[in-house]
Amino acid sequence: MTENEMLKKFIKDAFEKGLIEAVMAPSATQDSYTYALITKKEDVDKLTPIAPVMQWNGADMIRRITKLKKSERKLLAILRPCESRTYKELVKFNQINPENIIVLTYDCPGTVHARNYKYEPTSSEKLIEEMKSGKISNKIRESCSVCEYPTPIKGVGDIGLGIVNTTEPVFFSLSDKGKEFLAGMGINEGERDDSSWVKLHRDNREKWLKEERITGGRKGLEEFLSSCLNCHNCKDMCPICFCKECFFEDHSVFDYESNKFYNWADDKDGIRLPTDKSLFHVGRLIHMGTSCIGCGLCQQACPMDIPLYRLFGIVGNDLQKVFNYKPGVNDDIPPVMDFREDELHEFEGLFGGEE
Amino acid sequence: MTEKKFDPVIVGFFCNWCTSAAADLAGTSRLHYPASIRPIRVMCSSTVDPVYLVRALQEGADATILGGCHPGDCHYITGNYKARRRVAIVKTVLKSLGFDDTRVLLEWISGSEGPKFARVMNEYTDYIKKRGPSDFKYLDSLGGEKVD
Repeated sequence: MTENEMLKKFIKDAFEKGLIEAVMAPSATQDSYTYALITKKEDVDKLTPIAPVMQWNGADMIRRITKLKKSERKLLAILRPCESRTYKELVKFNQINPENIIVLTYDCPGTVHARNYKYEPTSSEKLIEEMKSGKISNKIRESCSVCEYPTPIKGVGDIGLGIVNTTEPVFFSLSDKGKEFLAGMGINEGERDDSSWVKLHRDNREKWLKEERITGGRKGLEEFLSSCLNCHNCKDMCPICFCKECFFEDHSVFDYESNKFYNWADDKDGIRLPTDKSLFHVGRLIHMGTSCIGCGLCQQACPMDIPLYRLFGIVGNDLQKVFNYKPGVNDDIPPVMDFREDELHEFEGLFGGEE
Repeated sequence: MTEKKFDPVIVGFFCNWCTSAAADLAGTSRLHYPASIRPIRVMCSSTVDPVYLVRALQEGADATILGGCHPGDCHYITGNYKARRRVAIVKTVLKSLGFDDTRVLLEWISGSEGPKFARVMNEYTDYIKKRGPSDFKYLDSLGGEKVD
């Protein structure tokens, strides 16, 4: 039995036992996979719980469901590890009401770039096979191959499904809610060792953090973003960019009299239009960098194939180091929502707080 | 154009209750501070979205100063702690991308510290004069030479 079949059986059983009333999981479309919400046991076969593509961040979908009011039905959401971390982060930001929601996550084999999948389809079974052989597939997205947490973490989500280093996939609980759920299902919790799979990714990540950094200030950033269309797709896809109104979407903020433009052109020996192209990315970094989960959807969404995750992932990593914060892995409060009275003195004054 | 003496533009966001009052005090005490400072009075240092700082830098400022009350003295109790976190974020992002992070300055200047206000403004202007024009303002422009 494949992992997908096993999960489908799990969902059907849960429906039968009355533990859930709805499921959110990926479902195949002609050329890709999208999230689907089903409420009947008969519809379970339409799902592909572990999809080879991540077109949207599932946590963003849950945010839409619980935006106005808590979930009225018991919902089982099948999320990738990065999505479950996003879920946790969005709960902290009061964007998701976790009541009545059970999150199931699994050892992730990574996902293929949505566009590559369209022209060169593959299956999650193939990816899982490569994962079981202890190899990171060369087909998966850059952000997946440098993922920091490719497996379920205790306290993030409710139920984990272990696939690596085990002959039969095992279920285990990640929270009390999950423990109760598994007991209700009559499933014995299993164990498996995921350290080798995690280490593979972390080694990749260490190398990536060093090699792919954007340096050189203005020149480096301009080169990196030279083909940017200013379409803001990266922001639309970002699950952390949940603001109703974005500073950079409110174009009146950037309305100036014509003379302003001419004066800039005078002073700067010519300006490129629109003027806020690079500023948009720097601004977005400042706003969401501390909570960047690393799903890499910004990069997938870029129509010009700019490897944006190198910008957001690496600078985000630097930011998170400053605040000693890891988004979505524990209960720490996000840095932008919190402060200490005695901290960060190195950022005060001109020479780091010496006065 | 390059032969002209470099006269920096420094945008200051000063909190209404402390640093702006210090600026007034420095003025009434007839203390000299450079005209390169362009003060903007804000109600609290924490009302300044970090994007305003980088936006000022891009639109032509050579440096920005965020002035607030000393920690513990905030008129709104905790505003300046939040401002400090935001400045930490801006500086880290600038540094991370290879920009000069000293172009953003966070200073605590209370309402009675007129002399300190004048001193900080003088010192910072001298410092920026030495550093030369900011690279950031040439972001997305055709001009600018190699600076820092």
